[in-house]
Amino acid sequence: MSVHDPRKAMTISLKINGAQRSVPAESDTPLLYVLRNDLGLNGAKFGCGLAQCGACTVLLDGKAVRSCVTEIGSIGEAEITTIEGLGTIDKPHPLQQAFIDEQAAQCGYCINGMIMSAKDLLDRNPHPTAAEVREGLAQNLCRCGTHGRIIRAVLRAAQNMGKT
Amino acid sequence: MTETAVNLTRRQFGQAAGALVLAFTLTPHPAGAQAPKLPGSLNNNRMLDAWLRINADGSAIIFTGKVELGQGISTALAQIAAEELDLPLARVKMVSGDTAQTPDEGHTSGSQSIEYGGTAVRLACAEARSLLVGQAAKRLGAPAGALKVSEGVITSPDGRKLGYGELAAELDFDREVTATAQPKPPAQHTIVGRSVPRRDIPAKVTGGAAYVQDIRLPRMVHGRVVRPPRYGARLDNLDEAPVRAMPGIVAVVRDGSFLGVVAEREEQAIKARDALTRSAKWSGGSELPDPTRLHEQLMALPTQASVVSEKQAVVAPAQKPSRRPTPDLTSRMPRSARPAPSPRSRTAG
Repeated sequence: MSVHDPRKAMTISLKINGAQRSVPAESDTPLLYVLRNDLGLNGAKFGCGLAQCGACTVLLDGKAVRSCVTEIGSIGEAEITTIEGLGTIDKPHPLQQAFIDEQAAQCGYCINGMIMSAKDLLDRNPHPTAAEVREGLAQNLCRCGTHGRIIRAVLRAAQNMGKT
Repeated sequence: MTETAVNLTRRQFGQAAGALVLAFTLTPHPAGAQAPKLPGSLNNNRMLDAWLRINADGSAIIFTGKVELGQGISTALAQIAAEELDLPLARVKMVSGDTAQTPDEGHTSGSQSIEYGGTAVRLACAEARSLLVGQAAKRLGAPAGALKVSEGVITSPDGRKLGYGELAAELDFDREVTATAQPKPPAQHTIVGRSVPRRDIPAKVTGGAAYVQDIRLPRMVHGRVVRPPRYGARLDNLDEAPVRAMPGIVAVVRDGSFLGVVAEREEQAIKARDALTRSAKWSGGSELPDPTRLHEQLMALPTQASVVSEKQAVVAPAQKPSRRPTPDLTSRMPRSARPAPSPRSRTAG
């Protein structure tokens, strides 16, 4: 039985989307709750809470991680990028624009994870084949069945990013 | 959640949107009096101003009791409204998901939002357009049939123009819908029936407020429910004190065998839920089915049949059916597109 230990209550400083943010949370708090509840960032979603669905994906130093199981105490100086850090509704990132252009969302709840995992994928492999996109997003679940459009959106983004 | 400002608190929203909050009145039919049945969701939301408002700039706000679940309803209803009002789609704003403003359309489920909500929006907008045209006819001294309506501007044969905004200011939409204005025949549709970009997607790909989870209220706390180990299990014993002493705990809620916890922070509620799960002692209840025999278990459950659709094919006159055929969509399809006739097809769900 864990009992309140005042030594554990602390403020943790995190670098999120280029800004330093302090949050009043214990070090074992999953990053997802800090992003959503403390910082009001809606992008990362709670899906399963077990690192199985990918809806909560963010980038940690450019690598896709599941924020629902990433304890804030483990992050240190690493840079966190959320979908809000990629682009905005007025100035979307090519991946966000491609998902709009392909209308690649039904309910849209998984799309944060799809885009953030695709960002990681395209950073490592700027010109993936459809099979590589499928493989790269295999661990992100979509229950609506939007996979075909999602793959097309990632390929479109890769093409558009290659042009600029 | 369409274009409602879900990141605002309700109070802030009320303040920000004070100008557009409508006091729509209750139906004027006294208790006991027989109100005529109106189509779709109009029947339970009978006032015109419950469904739409024309702004001073001639744009429209449509209120819907249906919510965006990714089925595209916020876009589709806007298309229907723009079509009937003869407004550009971009000049139709949707308000959804705020019960203080929107008509009560019950659930959003069962693929019924277009059928019920769409019918209501279509007829309400057709009626609003007809009122606007009628007012313009009075002002312009020309018969309504001689007026042209395009993009929210009504033009007389001699070229004089009146905008919806100006006309709407002279009309009171606080009136019961009659559902007598003819909506456009589908052959005249220029907005309905075309693919347009979904309105909800940009927010969904940029971290905008798009889901009910994205609503944060002032001084909001977080709850978790402790589930019993078996269906129908009884909560016998619980050591609440150590959980109450955990950081951030607002309340341990126990009501019979219901057990839950409220905490200031979400992760605190989760930790407290886990502690309660370890501490709670349950008895009775039925064991869950053996996962390896799920299929057999499901097939063995008692069933209840209910008819969701019953269709009767059109039969040659010589073999006249004993009952009148139920009208259905197939009767409106071209003959070549109809399913092969069968004497009677029945779908049970």
